[in-house]
Amino acid sequence: MNHRHPLRSLLTLVAVLLLNLAGPAPAGASSSIQWGETPEPQGFARATTPRQWRFPADFGAHPDHQTEWWYYTGNLETAEGRPFGYQFTIFRQALAPELPPAQASGAGGSAWRTPQVYSAHFTVSDIATETFLQEERFARGTLGLAGAEADPYAVWLNDWRISAEGPDRVRLRAATGAMAIDLTLRQSRPPVLQGQGGLSRKGPEAGNASHYYSLVQQPTEGTITVAGRDHAVHGVSWKDHEFSTSVLSPGTVGWDWFSAQFEDGSALMLYGLRQEDGGKEPFSGGRWIHGDEEVELGAEDYDLTVTATWRSPHSGARYPAAWTLTIPRLDLELAITPQMADQELSTASATYWEGALRYGGHRGEQPLRGRGYGELTGYADRLDSLRGG
Amino acid sequence: MSEASPLPVVRNGPLWRLAARRWRRRPLQYLLCILGIALGVAMLVSIDLASGSAQRAFSLSTDAITGRTTHRLVAIGPGGVPDTTFVELRHRFPEIPAAPVIEAYGRAEELDGELLRLVGVDLFSEAPFRGLLGGEGGGERGGGKGFVPFLTEPGTAVIATETAARFGLHPGAADGSGTLHLDLAGRTSELRLVGSVSSDGALERRGLETLLLVDIATAQDLLDPTGAAAVPAVGHIDLILEGPTQEAALSEWLPRGLKLETAAARGNAVQQMTAAFELNLTAMSLLAMVVGIFLIYNTVTFSVVQRRGLFGVLRCLGVTRGQLFALILGEAALFSLVGSLLGLALGVLLGRTVVGLITQTINDFYFVVSVRQISLSGFTLAKGMLVGVASALVASALPAWEAMATPPQMTLQRSNLESGWQRLLPWFLLAALLCGSLGVLLLRWNSHGLVSAFAGLFALLMGAALLMPPVLVAAMQGLGWASRGLPVVARLAPRDILRSLSRTAVAVAALMVAVSVIVGLSIMIGSFRGTVVTWLDQTLQADLFVSPPSTTANRVLGKVDPAIIQAIAERPDLRAMVTYNNFDVHLVDQDRDITLIAAGGDVSAGRRPYAWIRPGLDDPFAALEARQGVILSEAVYLRDGQSAIPEQIRLETPDGERSFPVIAVFYDYSSDRGSVLMDRSQVAELWHDDSVASLGLFLAPGADADAVAAELRQGFGSRQTLLVQTNGSLRQGSLEIFDRTFAITGALQLLTVVVAFIGIFSTLMSLQLERGREFAVLRATGMTPRQLGRLTLLETGLMGLLAGACSMPLGFVLAWVLVHVINVRSFGWTLQIALEPRFFIQSLLIAVGAAVLAGLYPALRLGRMNISEALRQE
Repeated sequence: MNHRHPLRSLLTLVAVLLLNLAGPAPAGASSSIQWGETPEPQGFARATTPRQWRFPADFGAHPDHQTEWWYYTGNLETAEGRPFGYQFTIFRQALAPELPPAQASGAGGSAWRTPQVYSAHFTVSDIATETFLQEERFARGTLGLAGAEADPYAVWLNDWRISAEGPDRVRLRAATGAMAIDLTLRQSRPPVLQGQGGLSRKGPEAGNASHYYSLVQQPTEGTITVAGRDHAVHGVSWKDHEFSTSVLSPGTVGWDWFSAQFEDGSALMLYGLRQEDGGKEPFSGGRWIHGDEEVELGAEDYDLTVTATWRSPHSGARYPAAWTLTIPRLDLELAITPQMADQELSTASATYWEGALRYGGHRGEQPLRGRGYGELTGYADRLDSLRGG
Repeated sequence: MSEASPLPVVRNGPLWRLAARRWRRRPLQYLLCILGIALGVAMLVSIDLASGSAQRAFSLSTDAITGRTTHRLVAIGPGGVPDTTFVELRHRFPEIPAAPVIEAYGRAEELDGELLRLVGVDLFSEAPFRGLLGGEGGGERGGGKGFVPFLTEPGTAVIATETAARFGLHPGAADGSGTLHLDLAGRTSELRLVGSVSSDGALERRGLETLLLVDIATAQDLLDPTGAAAVPAVGHIDLILEGPTQEAALSEWLPRGLKLETAAARGNAVQQMTAAFELNLTAMSLLAMVVGIFLIYNTVTFSVVQRRGLFGVLRCLGVTRGQLFALILGEAALFSLVGSLLGLALGVLLGRTVVGLITQTINDFYFVVSVRQISLSGFTLAKGMLVGVASALVASALPAWEAMATPPQMTLQRSNLESGWQRLLPWFLLAALLCGSLGVLLLRWNSHGLVSAFAGLFALLMGAALLMPPVLVAAMQGLGWASRGLPVVARLAPRDILRSLSRTAVAVAALMVAVSVIVGLSIMIGSFRGTVVTWLDQTLQADLFVSPPSTTANRVLGKVDPAIIQAIAERPDLRAMVTYNNFDVHLVDQDRDITLIAAGGDVSAGRRPYAWIRPGLDDPFAALEARQGVILSEAVYLRDGQSAIPEQIRLETPDGERSFPVIAVFYDYSSDRGSVLMDRSQVAELWHDDSVASLGLFLAPGADADAVAAELRQGFGSRQTLLVQTNGSLRQGSLEIFDRTFAITGALQLLTVVVAFIGIFSTLMSLQLERGREFAVLRATGMTPRQLGRLTLLETGLMGLLAGACSMPLGFVLAWVLVHVINVRSFGWTLQIALEPRFFIQSLLIAVGAAVLAGLYPALRLGRMNISEALRQE
């Protein structure tokens, strides 16, 4: 289970199950559906060996795998230096590997029918006012309601949209009544294949792995709208695209995941899986990217120490709120602090923390400063208790 | 009480003990009175509960899936809202919660053929809408993953937990107990139950009872398995709009052929649909109550009259007028309270039966609803109680006032009372005249008011009742004169009746009103049936009728598979085929929905009678086929209270409003909303819908209709089960619906008879029993018991005969009003009044029968009377 942020695969699965929780409940007595038992879906493709990556084809969806997501985060600021963070992720979840034969062959099957379910999370962190805005949406992957295409690259859920705008440029658009983003990202370097050749192993079993690449250090420009005001912003964004068919093993309580984009152009991805006894799982790790140099990190390569905590007034959960990170192999020492405390997400399926972070320290003699995002799970809900729910 | 009220000398306690002693001595009289009140109240309550329950069941099942919906996007005409509209809506107005819904009705053999409401939803759009799909703190959630097959596999569904339990179904079970066979318009589909839905609210649970929840894709597949729909569509789109800005923005964007309506609009339309039907039922039950009021009046009058002497003595002993008044009213209140309570209990019991009858009619004519239990409404019960007690108090107020107002010494003489009545006769005439005129005025006033029509009807009845004393006096005087020279018994009888006019007149009036109601309803129903039979004979000319089996008897909700139509059309033994389709269309002129019938050919083969044909037009149907205009049913304009046939009507089409010239008016007794006939090609062009709900087949000469019918029934079994009816069986079926519709009226009529009978029986019996001393004198002067018995029977018989005779013209007037005023205003149907002797004979028999029966017991008792004791009694 060394999945970097496998929570998200769970999120979608559980989300579908519990999506009735989302949204305000109509007044009066409440009703609910008691779902019957049904066999686990079988027959999804599994990640066993590194794949032959082909871009732009691999920018699109891989519907033979159960779970897939296109994850964007960024740390932006206005010309005056007012900082913002955003997270915009579209998930795909196949409820079943393929349409049942009757459906696939029968003429006139409803166009609404699809095993592909899409959901999306959209958050904006207005750091100056310490305002955290969030929204979650669902749609089926059919009829143009939601979907993903490789070339031209587009992933969308209703009006929320990720789409190619010319070579190496991608536009993100999402809006709710309270917030909006309209950002253009420029791909500045080729995809970083995580793990071994883009095969990120999650556990000792064969096939318990995902296909995973990242686009780091993407210069970003555009508009963030909060409180009815548009702000012209610039900064850097991070993209993860990952697909897999995997399960979470019991005993994993949660994980802490970090992305860092440094001012000198280097980047770091790091994850730590927490066990029930508080220990770090052996499949934890990460990757250091500096120019053409990439270093894969193992669990033994880093040391992460929590130096402060924060108690959520919403869920009551206590989250780490500052760390020190040392990676002796890279001669790296960093202090990690959230750009603001309250970036707790409450989705249909789980409550967790995902927010903008600040990094400061040094690598060798060189000072190193950067920004990024972190995902802290298993503090409000035990993740393995959500499993298969 | 206007005089200086002296302090009561006598306490109330002894007075009540005195009254109670009388109740013990004359229990039958009071019991009958209580029974009369109880029956009247029961009728009122049962009708009210039953129709209220039907409405409640409908609104509960609607609420169950309306949730927080404020508006809905619906298609103008059939066909639904295109899938693409939803997608566009999501992209354009992402901030507006929207959820697609498909609704249909079906039956499942596993649920004993109970009506099920199939609702297709998109789970991903549901969250903001329905309590149905859970809310915060919602009940226990299942641990299974039934939602996966629910979303990904066709033929999966969720059913109410309680319904599943009731029929031994186990959602999620791999064996047969997890499967349903759903029949939708003749196509049976197997559905696997993958979950169950329940609520923690009792009312909500009832709303869910008949629900079969499926994925929107499953609903589309079930309703259109071959993908025949030109445009894949959902039924409607539920919306939650916040404020008029969003509404305006949405209206601005609305694609052609769609309209925005409020969620409440549909419920209101449904309420309006059945309003006239329910008012009619309520009026019928009130009629029974009126008869019941006579009964109460009689009983109380008797109790007063019989105690006049006692009251006189009491007054002399110092009992005040107020005390007497209170005693009499108190007695009435007590009995009416007991009677009303009994009536409520009886009404609830009766309601369970009546609700079945009413539900059937509502399903036949109005909307689909399944009522499994009656809703006890506090309001209904209170109303029943109030009507029962109030009518008893009103009925006793007059005798009570009379007892109070009469000076004590006068109360000791009975002749005083009767001569008072004799003096009142001209006033009765005047009052009858006034009441009658008021009735006529009310009937003519407010040409489409149903309430005023019923008020007028009641005024007419009241007038007729008031006319009874003078008529009785005239008749008996005439009879007395004519009976000179006949045996003494025959001469005595008319005079006896006249002597106790205060009670005989009331009894005869009550009997007459009750019997006239029976006559009136019989004529009305008989005329109605006759009209419908003729209409069916003329209209239904085809040899065979083909349609999908419908969920309700009168309306066809499904469509015939186009491939089947094609196959039938190619049969060599077919001479001609006509097609019918119908759907709701908005009549702009009256801002209401009516039925649009797309006619591909005339099923009456030109024999259909028309109520009106545009002057200069030869063959209206040919003109219809030439698309020169439309043919209206009478209900389109009659129900609206117009008498003028409109020149043209405006209908809403997907491409805007359109006017159509009216070329003729036809009779349509199958719907009270009004229907418009239009040529099929025109409908197809304007409403983009060419589906067919039923076929009429004219067979070639020599073809065997039954054989062809059997062939058709079997031929397409795998595709669609078809209902194939021969001409005869369709007519038979139609008449069965007719009879079923009037079953409730028949039941009411019967109850009215029972109330009337009890009234007559108790009145006449008391009348005879009271005359103990008088009979004793007659016996003492030499009359034999046989003669005395004959006298009694002759008297009651005479009264029955008079009541029966007078009820005939009144019954006819009643029927006339029902047919020409009430029916037209309620349902827009004109009927031919058909008089049959049996209506009158039957009523006369009831009147005389009840009267003679009522005289029988006293007559027998008289034979055994102890003369000397009876003489000593007073």
